[in-house]
Amino acid sequence: MTTPTAHTAAGRPGSGPAPGSVSGLAAAGGLGAVELTWRPYRTRGTQLVDHYEVYELTAAGDTLLARTLFPHHTHRVGPEAVTRRYTVVAVVDSGARTRPARAAAATSERSLAAGRPVARVGEFDHRGLEFALSPNLSAQYPAAFPEDVDFRHGASDPARDWCYLHPGPGDAWAGRREHTFTLRFDLAAAPERDLGFALWLIDSHATAAGTAELAVNGRAVRTLAFRGGATRGSLEGDAARSGSVLKPSSYELPLAADLFRAGENVLTLRKTSGSWIAYDALGVFAPE
Amino acid sequence: MTSPPHSPRRRSFLQAAGVGVGALLAGAGLAGRAEAAGGAPRLREDPYRLGVASGEPAADGAVLWTRLAPDPLAADGHGGMPRAGYDVGWQVAEDERFRRVVRSGSAVALPELGHSVHPQVRGLRPGRQYFYRFRTHGRTSPVGRFRTAPDPRSARGSFTFATASCQAWYHGHFSAYRDMAAQDPDVVFFLGDYIYEYGITAANMWRGAPLPGARHETETSTLADYRLRYALFKSDPDLQAVHAAAPWILTPDDHEVQNDYSDETSYYGLSEEDFLLRRAVAYRAYYENCPLPALALGHGPDARLHRRLRYGPAALHVLDARQYRDPKPADAAEQHAPGRTMLGREQERWLYHGLRTSGARWNLLLQQVGLVRVTENRVDQWDGYPAARQRLLDVLGEPGVAPSVVFTGDCHRSIAGDLLADFADPGSRVVGSEFLGTSIASDGDGAPTDTYTKDWMQHPWMRFYDGRRGYVLGHADAAAVTAGYRAVPYVRADNGAAGFALDRFRVAHGRPGMEKVS
Repeated sequence: MTTPTAHTAAGRPGSGPAPGSVSGLAAAGGLGAVELTWRPYRTRGTQLVDHYEVYELTAAGDTLLARTLFPHHTHRVGPEAVTRRYTVVAVVDSGARTRPARAAAATSERSLAAGRPVARVGEFDHRGLEFALSPNLSAQYPAAFPEDVDFRHGASDPARDWCYLHPGPGDAWAGRREHTFTLRFDLAAAPERDLGFALWLIDSHATAAGTAELAVNGRAVRTLAFRGGATRGSLEGDAARSGSVLKPSSYELPLAADLFRAGENVLTLRKTSGSWIAYDALGVFAPE
Repeated sequence: MTSPPHSPRRRSFLQAAGVGVGALLAGAGLAGRAEAAGGAPRLREDPYRLGVASGEPAADGAVLWTRLAPDPLAADGHGGMPRAGYDVGWQVAEDERFRRVVRSGSAVALPELGHSVHPQVRGLRPGRQYFYRFRTHGRTSPVGRFRTAPDPRSARGSFTFATASCQAWYHGHFSAYRDMAAQDPDVVFFLGDYIYEYGITAANMWRGAPLPGARHETETSTLADYRLRYALFKSDPDLQAVHAAAPWILTPDDHEVQNDYSDETSYYGLSEEDFLLRRAVAYRAYYENCPLPALALGHGPDARLHRRLRYGPAALHVLDARQYRDPKPADAAEQHAPGRTMLGREQERWLYHGLRTSGARWNLLLQQVGLVRVTENRVDQWDGYPAARQRLLDVLGEPGVAPSVVFTGDCHRSIAGDLLADFADPGSRVVGSEFLGTSIASDGDGAPTDTYTKDWMQHPWMRFYDGRRGYVLGHADAAAVTAGYRAVPYVRADNGAAGFALDRFRVAHGRPGMEKVS
């Protein structure tokens, strides 16, 4: 990867850097993400910003994370709490580049998914490519999953048994009805402490993300109201890729220990309104 | 015209972007020379790999275009050009060997404008064929040709034309353009979707060709992304050939920016503020890559894309049905609200005034989405703006307004129908005719009929439907406008398909409505 300090126009005679640098770079750690914002680069005349380059600064070198048109970027990170440093360079329409912005740092929040997995489907990596029918075969859902998803932890295969897209009652292509995804897992004994539920999405419908009812062993736990996405997750499955327009979201909550029992446990997610959601991963976790 | 009212966010964008004219004038060949031209690095490779083009034909001139790019698909979007200005000389001659050069000049290809130039040529004679070429740093471009518009004062003025739209490079080959070049139209009307913004992956790559690579896998967003996308689409030799063979008059639709957008509204999760940034770079790349007039160079997120040209017996009203439209309706009440607009208030007034006062034998409207009534759920078309449509139909039907023919893109089908004074009354009089052109490649091979046929052909005012790829080939003179559909049998497998004629229709002056002639 190129480094942000290599902004000179070497090999481009007759050119020079764009004046100044991006200012106001700020970083804020969140769940599975670090939000970076900065002030728009001040252009002159008809000049336009082609894009900004966002770099993570590490001891091993500087890594280009993304090229973005917008004066903000969400760095998708894993479930662990990690402190990272960043800088940003503006590239204008002529190809000229500014000096790097003053670095900013933030620590991401620790996700429940960083705990010990009791039952997990998929990887918490902002990609849904490991699931059945991914990235764009949702039209086959009615034929492939006529009884909806019924997944057994430890036996089922995400690539075959968990659909990347969970349709809602607003989806004509899936019969305009509620759809329930079921996750079954065994416990040797009822847990003594509360467990945690983590659900990460790579995207959802922009204007009709809708709701789902989360239940454990038949007991309703909570109605999840999904945030609007970009309506692209039905067609592409990698929200971590630079340039992706997908809008991931995450939902985490504790699950009371008395919801569970020794033997088979059944977690269900019933889409009760709106259109589809697109999975990154979900699971039940024990605190470590 | 004045711009529509700007939101505070847009005002702040404009203030940040500023408005300058230096680069524009240099690129148009009106002023300036490249400061660094003398010391600019030598170009080791052919810089004309994106071809040459002409546009905006008038009775006395045209806009010429090229974009220097020895490596069109270079990842940074700059086409392999050094970051320096280049003087680009141009010549216009009456003969292909340039023995009778009648106009010449110089423009500056700047990196700020992707090394594109748009010199405006004036002082030519009407209805004549001319040849043009560029020269920079010892390298001479291929020769292009254009015909100036017929003299509008001549009662005998006539012209041939083609309309094209929707060239999803990844859905198929541009063999329809090869057929178009063979038909040798005087002018080409391009009615939107010159590029598509979608990522190109195995899922949508139907063209029998290798995938273009990781740089094209995601949706376009940055200026570099859009520049690269144009370079990719313009790499098609049949597209380049039609650009070199005839002047184009272009208007964009949604995919030059983002699917279905309405003014400041994106339907894919972008905030208004972010979307305006995107619109700005998308409009910039559109200008850089097409033979457009100087006024089409955007000021931040705004660009003056609607305009009127006089072309022989016709006034050409080039519309912009994206930049000022109201958002998609939330419900039927909003859809049918009387104040709803497709063109924006100012463009509406401009259009109606132009229709009433054009003084031409014909009003030809060149625009994006279907005007004719089809179904209530086609809210991206004029069906989503019925009050605005009715206002336009009312003007078309006014006494003294020259007969109107509408040419449309977007629908990926060859469709023809008459425009009624009141679509709620199928017996009402005909106030115009509309020819919707199919796509050059979008949606792949297609078939004569498909799942949309019934929707369109259920109405008595509809006359023709075919779902294959192709274009419209027409002729206009004082007596009539004829429009025939041409198609190719396939586009996905290779570029070898031969074009053939479908139905042809004639609209006679003074007798509203189309009649089939073959």
